Amino acid sequence: MDSTTSSTADGAGAPSKNALKKELKMKQREEERRRKEEEKAKQAPKATSQKAVAADDEDMDPTQYFENRLKYLAAEKAKGENPYPHKFAVTMSIPEYIEKYGGLNNGDHVEDAQVSLAGRIMSKRSSSSKLFFYDLHGEDFKVQVMADASKSGLDEAEFSKLHANAKRGDIVGVTGFPGKTKRGELSIFPRSFILLSHCLHMMPRKAENVSAKKPESWIPGEPRNPEAYVLKDQESRYRQRYLDLMLNVEVRQIFKTRANIISYVRRFLDNQRFLEVETPMMNMIAGGAAARPFVTHHNDLDMRLYMRIAPELFLKQLIVGGLERVYEIGKQFRNEGIDLTHNPEFTTCEFYMAFADYNDLMKMTEDMLSGMVKELTGGYKIKYHANGYDKEPIEIDFTPPFRRIEMIGELEKVANLNIPKDLASEEANKYLIDACAKFDVKCPPPQTTARLLDKLVGEFLEVSCVNPTFIINHPEIMSPLAKWHRSNNVLTERFELFINKHELCNAYTELNDPVVQRQRFADQLKDRQSGDDEAMALDETFCSALEYGLAPTGGWGLGIDRLAMLFTDSQNIKEVILFPAMRPQDDPAAAKASLQAGNKGE
Amino acid sequence: MEALKVWSLTASPLRQLLRLSSSSTAIYGRRSHRSSLMLRCASAASSSSSSNAATAETPKPSGRNRRAGSSSNSTSDREAIRSIRLKKVEELRGQGVEPYAYKWEKSHSANQLQEIYKHLANGEELNDESDRVSIAGRVVARRAFGKLAFLTLRDDSGTVQLYCEKERLSDEQFEQLKAFIDIGDILGASGSMKRTEKGELSICVNSFSILTKSLLPLPDKYHGLTDIDKRYRQRYVDMIANPEVADVFRKRAKIVSEIRKTVESSGYLEVETPVLQGAAGGAEARPFVTYHNSLGRDLYLRIATELHLKRMLVGGFEKVYEIGRIFRNEGLSTRHNPEFTTIEMYEAFSDYQSMMDMAELIVTGCAMAVNGKLTIDYQGTEICLERPWRRETMHDLVKEATGIDFSELGDDLGKAKDAVLLALQDVLEHKDKSGIGACSSLGHLLNEVFEVVVEPKLVQPTFVLDYPIEISPLAKPHRGNAGLTERFELFICGREMANAFSELTDPVDQRKRLEEQVRQHNAKRAAAAAETPEGKAKKDDDDDDDDESYEVTLDEDFLTALEYGMPPASGMGLGIDRLVMLLTNSASIRDVIAFPVLKVQQ
Repeated sequence: MDSTTSSTADGAGAPSKNALKKELKMKQREEERRRKEEEKAKQAPKATSQKAVAADDEDMDPTQYFENRLKYLAAEKAKGENPYPHKFAVTMSIPEYIEKYGGLNNGDHVEDAQVSLAGRIMSKRSSSSKLFFYDLHGEDFKVQVMADASKSGLDEAEFSKLHANAKRGDIVGVTGFPGKTKRGELSIFPRSFILLSHCLHMMPRKAENVSAKKPESWIPGEPRNPEAYVLKDQESRYRQRYLDLMLNVEVRQIFKTRANIISYVRRFLDNQRFLEVETPMMNMIAGGAAARPFVTHHNDLDMRLYMRIAPELFLKQLIVGGLERVYEIGKQFRNEGIDLTHNPEFTTCEFYMAFADYNDLMKMTEDMLSGMVKELTGGYKIKYHANGYDKEPIEIDFTPPFRRIEMIGELEKVANLNIPKDLASEEANKYLIDACAKFDVKCPPPQTTARLLDKLVGEFLEVSCVNPTFIINHPEIMSPLAKWHRSNNVLTERFELFINKHELCNAYTELNDPVVQRQRFADQLKDRQSGDDEAMALDETFCSALEYGLAPTGGWGLGIDRLAMLFTDSQNIKEVILFPAMRPQDDPAAAKASLQAGNKGE
Repeated sequence: MEALKVWSLTASPLRQLLRLSSSSTAIYGRRSHRSSLMLRCASAASSSSSSNAATAETPKPSGRNRRAGSSSNSTSDREAIRSIRLKKVEELRGQGVEPYAYKWEKSHSANQLQEIYKHLANGEELNDESDRVSIAGRVVARRAFGKLAFLTLRDDSGTVQLYCEKERLSDEQFEQLKAFIDIGDILGASGSMKRTEKGELSICVNSFSILTKSLLPLPDKYHGLTDIDKRYRQRYVDMIANPEVADVFRKRAKIVSEIRKTVESSGYLEVETPVLQGAAGGAEARPFVTYHNSLGRDLYLRIATELHLKRMLVGGFEKVYEIGRIFRNEGLSTRHNPEFTTIEMYEAFSDYQSMMDMAELIVTGCAMAVNGKLTIDYQGTEICLERPWRRETMHDLVKEATGIDFSELGDDLGKAKDAVLLALQDVLEHKDKSGIGACSSLGHLLNEVFEVVVEPKLVQPTFVLDYPIEISPLAKPHRGNAGLTERFELFICGREMANAFSELTDPVDQRKRLEEQVRQHNAKRAAAAAETPEGKAKKDDDDDDDDESYEVTLDEDFLTALEYGMPPASGMGLGIDRLVMLLTNSASIRDVIAFPVLKVQQ
């Protein structure tokens, strides 16, 4: 199933719309192919004139080009013209146009129809000063504009001047009638052609000698091929996302997929009577997780505030307040390094459900994720370039139920260990230090038992979790907010879901015994004093909320960005964040130059 | 009177006895007001039941514990109650009962039961297997007799009575009920349905389970709830004590969901843009500053989403929106919280006229979803939201209110100020006059007069159109009137709800305007610094240094994006907190934000 639709309010209507869009795309691809063949056929006789147009875009120095465009605009303004009109009344979107007129016969013109389309010119060709061809792009689709002087109502000089000023990258509004060329290309034949906005920079262009094959229309769950992108340079793609979106067709789909993921989660929870709430992003204490927070300052109150690292403690307070099912989808902030899976701000969904436990939550996780994969991709299996785009993609299977492994039991089995039962003991700590040394598993100080275990689990268990796998029943010392296991009190009722070796979800039966919770915070403080600056701080308001009584509750968190990465075949979190955090650029001019050089270099 | 009987047995202070008897009479007399009255009963019962329990449990209750019954507010009494209840936790565990249960399967919510069994006649009981129900919630009232106890359980949806007969329960369970259950505890119970002779729908309990033992007494209706500060600091207590508080947050969720539905059905795509930014643009406000360790640079918290959403239009998305948190480093008030939620939306090829329709659509849609009607009461004023809403230019509104026609004032700022001061000498207060004196342009002057004289009078929904260009750096110049922009603000109840414009798309003009904004800001900043020659040291203690002492920089990336061409577009920002205030008749923004920022507690 295609997921290009952005309307998710009506689930029932979606499939037909998707199917339609898919069909449209197929047709477009076919037409594209046909057009290319035709072009090839006619290229020989018309080579000179086509080149002439291309030349005025391609051969100029970028700075010169920019200045020429500015001069042109200044001249227009001096004449009293407004080069940036206020509005263009679009009567039809480009996909609607293709849907309505795609069935015309070759050579048919519907001269009594009048349609207004708008979009960006992504390609310009001409065969004479009286005839110009444009590819007009909008909303993932494109249509040809065939501007013929004889139909323009302009004299020849005006016509050729107007079209000389229309550059690749400009945004235009076209009013005219539909028709198909003799060769079968659906076009619009303008009676008026208005420049709405101007691209002042030279638009990066795909060099002709690069593979002429257009990237196949991509759908979620399928592998991508960023190597074939028109704009490849990662720096430019992330820093100037608008160019990435304009030039690389799949990128729009990535962000639509991301929106669809969030919308699916929201619908899933809304259907189970969860209430969406908002909790503070700035707090006096950064609690609910173990991470280094961002610090800021409120001037008027002269107050130090931390950006939240998790909404957990506030959401649980709302459960205490009597809202039985709440969720929040929102940004979290962690003052950490930036790498392939970490951005300083990222999006999570956390939900809390009174009277449920972690077993219920595992079932819900399976239902949610498998249902989502099915809706977005049409099946349970996705392809993912886990080992880089140059290797074969792997397959990840979301068919429920997911595998479940006991953390300690499985670790002992896989690594052939016999960890002392009292995990809080010195003995256990010593045993694990030795185990890490034996297997050459690095654990930088402080070597707390929790950290040692975490490293060993990473080494021996997480690597085996390619298909969705729950690692369950974490030791209490690793889980200060989770409830002790009902049948083994050194463990907790907790699970983490791993997919492709990365943690996607973290959930537990919530610790609601205030006395035990205070004790756990005190233990965390000890870890903190022993140098673990990621140990959790005590939140007094939260503890006293527990004293008013938190119902038995299951709590759950999901990393939205990482899920979006999986479904969009992205190995870098920057692929799924519109504006990822980047190192500051000292010299913006240099970046621009590198962008343009990159395009030319192709 | 059952209730009277039980209380006379428990030797509670006379004052409470009287209070309780009156409220319990009301309970049976007027069912429609049950929940709030029940609560009064609950709070009274809360304290005395614990003192009562103390008598039962601890052989030598100190006089202090007894007094806990009459004033649960003082800290020492709270501590006493906590220690009694902690003892109960221990004892329960001693008996093999875990007072913090893991899970409870409930078959119905209280409200569902009230609905399903509303036709059950007084005295009727259903013993059919299919009428077995289970429920869970917080005990908010409790009355115990020799062989009978009544508990009122409140859940997310409402309340229902538990009818606990000794003969239907095991001896241990009945004893547990009498000795260990306090008001505030969370219970799960199952049994069959019955309506008492007095007409109270009840569950005849066969079995129950303590799900969460509460340690602190619920607040007294008369003390806890009038303490406004505590209401916000401990929202969960507020919500337990005042179920209607939770309704505000339910309505808030509904409003956000309705907004999303409205814009998505118009084809808008939801996106997420960064909170942490290198330069805070898109509005004029003091930003929060933070520091990213690994990037080694200052970052600003966004003050608007505008500039990034516009980049999406450049990238080819034609309709995008973001609902998200905005941060402004400003003082607190009934209308201002440092973090607040907005929706910003942008649509290509349209202008501000179409955004007015959108604003009407959204607000009326939300009003219908929440209140089911378009005539609403806000703090005693009737507001009519029937469309269409009044649309009037700022010039006309000012002329109507003051008689001053700004279009005839000419270009001389000094003369214009004199004319304004003369015309309004009786109306203006001193600070208004100095505000007028400080205006740096005719546009600022017009806006100042508007804000002082007109704004408070715009009670019914009004679109104010065509703002001066000097105060609208991101709006497109008006197509018909020089010096004005195509911009509107929506006012309801004298408050700005939305701000929208035909977006400025001309990169040359945009650069000029932003540079002018920076220049003006720096001038003010310099002037402010000059006024306090002692410099920084003094400014730190100065209360009104809040205006200009922060830095404003150009967002070069945004300007570059515009140079690639942004389609003509309109955009709107709408304050969700203020909309929720309006539609829930809330006087303060703190009533609609679950955890508002508050001054540090003394």
